[in-house]
Amino acid sequence: MTDLRGGGSLPADSTLAVHPALGGRETDWHALVRTHGSPLLVLDCDIIRRQYRKLAQALPDVSLYYAIKALPNRAVIATLAEEGCGFDIATNGEVAMLEQLFIEPRRTIHTHPIKRDLDIRTALRYGCTTFVVDNVDELEKFIPYRHRVALLVRVSFPNPSARVDLSRKFGCAADDVPALLKEADALGIHVKGLSFHVGSQVADAGMHVYAIRRCTELLRLPRPDAVAPMSVIDIGGGFPVNYDGSIEDIDAFCAPIRTALAELPSNVRVLAEPGRYIAAPAMTCVTSVVGRARRGERMWYYLDDGVYNSFSGQIYDHTRYPLIALDAQGESRPSVLAGPTCDSIDVIAEDILIGEMQIGDLIVAPMMGAYTAATATTFNSLPRARVLTLAAPASLDVDDSNVVRLA
Amino acid sequence: MARNEFAETLYDSYGQRFAIDEVCFESRTEVQHLLIFHNAKFGRVMALDGVVQTTQRDEFYYHEMLAHVPLFAHGQPRRVLIIGGGDGGLLREVVKHRSVEHVTKVEIDAAVVEMAKTWFPDHSRGAFDDPRFHLVIADGAEFVRTTEDPWDVIMIDSTDPIGPGEVLFSNDFYRQCQRILAPGGIMVTQNGVPFMQLDEVRKSARAFRDLFADWHFYGVAVPTYIGGMMTLGWATEDAGLRQLPLEVLEERFASAEIDTRYYTPAIHRGAFALPRFVEEAIGK
Ligand SMILES: Cc1ncc(COP(=O)(O)O)c(C=O)c1O
Repeated sequence: MTDLRGGGSLPADSTLAVHPALGGRETDWHALVRTHGSPLLVLDCDIIRRQYRKLAQALPDVSLYYAIKALPNRAVIATLAEEGCGFDIATNGEVAMLEQLFIEPRRTIHTHPIKRDLDIRTALRYGCTTFVVDNVDELEKFIPYRHRVALLVRVSFPNPSARVDLSRKFGCAADDVPALLKEADALGIHVKGLSFHVGSQVADAGMHVYAIRRCTELLRLPRPDAVAPMSVIDIGGGFPVNYDGSIEDIDAFCAPIRTALAELPSNVRVLAEPGRYIAAPAMTCVTSVVGRARRGERMWYYLDDGVYNSFSGQIYDHTRYPLIALDAQGESRPSVLAGPTCDSIDVIAEDILIGEMQIGDLIVAPMMGAYTAATATTFNSLPRARVLTLAAPASLDVDDSNVVRLA
Repeated sequence: MARNEFAETLYDSYGQRFAIDEVCFESRTEVQHLLIFHNAKFGRVMALDGVVQTTQRDEFYYHEMLAHVPLFAHGQPRRVLIIGGGDGGLLREVVKHRSVEHVTKVEIDAAVVEMAKTWFPDHSRGAFDDPRFHLVIADGAEFVRTTEDPWDVIMIDSTDPIGPGEVLFSNDFYRQCQRILAPGGIMVTQNGVPFMQLDEVRKSARAFRDLFADWHFYGVAVPTYIGGMMTLGWATEDAGLRQLPLEVLEERFASAEIDTRYYTPAIHRGAFALPRFVEEAIGK
C-alpha cells in the first residue's frame, strides 16, 4: 500500500485503513465495496459534526449558514440542522431540498447575487426573506417585495491568493456601495447589511480581515435617509482545509478574524457561509482498478471513477486529493491513474509512484466532500458514485439502503 | 424533529410566533405547503407556505366582513361566486342569507377543502352540504374567463399574492370579474394589510379605477393578519351601494335574522372610512 500525498503511512498488508484524514474511524473499504459496489463516496456525518463544532468554537459569536452547494446532501443538512446550523441557499433546487427536510426557513439566507423573479418568489414562498444584491438592476427586482424582505449588499474583494476567486463574477466595489445604498433608500428597500466572499480555500485570513475592516467603515458611514441602520455583516466562506490530510488549525486561522470582528459596531450581528470547511473532510472516495496497461515506461491503471464523476473537483475546484493505493504491492514505479470515460482529459494522477496494482484493487481518496459529488456529471452515461452514509442523524427518516449504520 | 413553534415568514424584520401544542396535519400538495397545528390562544391554525390563513378563534372577523358587507349592501343577492376560501368559513356566512339561491366556490386545491372539513368543521358548519352550493376545483382565473353566468356578488378570498394566488390580483382577472358581474353586482377582495403592504392597495386601486364606476376599500382588523387593519376591496357599477343609510342596513340585518359575532350595520357603515394614509395611497 502506498500513500501518494503524504499523511500517515500504513502497514503494507493492511486492508483496514486508518488515515489521518479519514476521521479516525476504522473502515473496511474492501468489505464496503463487496457489499455496495464501486465507486463509492463514503460520507461520515460525525466528521460533519466535528467540523461544524470546531468552526463554531473558533468563531463564537458568528451564526454559521452552511453553503449547501459544497455538498448538497440530505444527511449533511439534517446533521447540521440538529447542530443548530443555518443554511445558505442559492437556487430553487436548494430551496426544495430544505423544504423536504422541514428546515425552518428563518434559518436560511439566499445568497445568489443574480436571481430571476421566479427565484425570489420561490424563496419567499418557502419563507426565506434575506437576499443578496450587488447592483441596481438586482435591487429593483425587489421593489414588489420590499415590504417583506431585507437585503445584504455583496461587496467584492478580489483575492488572487484564493484557490477559487469569487469576486470576479460577483460583488459591488466597496467604493460603489454608498451609491447603491442610496438607491435602496430611495426605493424604500431595507438593506440590513453587507456580505462578501473572499474566495474559497484561502491561504490565510488576511483578506477576511481586510474585508471586515472595509465593511466596518462602510457600516459606519452616515445614512440619514436609510430605511434602517445596517445591523448584519456576512463574512462568507473561504475557511480552508488541508488536502494533505493533516488536521488544520482552524482556531489559529480564525484568530485574526475574531480580532477584526471585535471592532464592529455593537449592533452588528455576524454571519458566515462555510461550505468546504464543513464538507471536505467528511467524504472519502473509494474507486477500483478496472483495467491496466503498460504504455511505454508507465503503468496505466483505469479506475471506475474519474474527473467527470467524483473527481470533477480536480477540474472545477482546482483541487487535488490525497490518493491511497490501498492494495499496491512491491516496488514503486511511475504510474498513471485514469478515469473511466473515453476522454483523454479524464486522468486523476500522472507520473505518481506506486507499487503494482491488480484489477479489483482499491484507491481510497479522503477529503472528497466539498465540490466533488456536487459537480459530478454522467458523461458517457456513466452513473455517479453511490453515496454511503455513516453516522446519519436518527431524525433522518430515510428508507434508504445507502445509509450504513455501523456497529 | 419535533416542532414546538411556528414562526410566520411573511416579513424579514417583524413577525408573529405561535406555540405549537400539536401538529395536526402537514402536507405538500402540488400547489402549496399546508400546515395545521393547535395553539392554545387561537385553537387550530392553518398556514399555507408559512403564512397564517385562518384560525378557529378569529376567523369570524374576516369571514363575516367579507361576506355580509356586500350581501347586505346588495339587498337581494341570489347568485354568489366565491374564488378561493377553501376553508369554507366564507361559505358558511353566505348560506346564512335566505335570498341566496346559488353559491359556486372555485378552489384551486382540492386537498385544502378536504383538510378544512376534517380540521376546521366549524368554519363550514355543514355549508359544504348545502343544496345551493357547488364546488368547482379549478384555477379561479380560468373559471372567470370562461363562465358566462351573471353573479350578484363575487368574493375573492385569495392567499398572499406570492404563490398561486398571484393571478387573483391581476388586472386581467379583475376585468373578467367585471364582465361577469350582474347589474347591481358587487365584487369584494382580500387586499392585505396596508401598514405592511401599501403597494398592494395602491396596485388594486389602480386596477379598479380603470374598470369600475365605483370602487373603494373597507377595513377590518383581524388579529392574526398582523400589522393592524386589513383592507378589503370593493368594486361595483352602482355608487349608491356603499352609501346606504344605517337604517336600511339595520332593517335588512334585522329581517335576515342572521347571528353574527363581528358584523353589525354600524360597523358596516364605518368600515368604509379609511385612514388618511390609505386614502392618499389610493388617490382619494
Ligand atoms: C455565496 C457563497 N457562499 C459560500 C460559499 C462557500 O464557500 P467555501 O466553500 O469556501 O466555504 C460559496 C462558494 O462558492 C459562495 O459562492
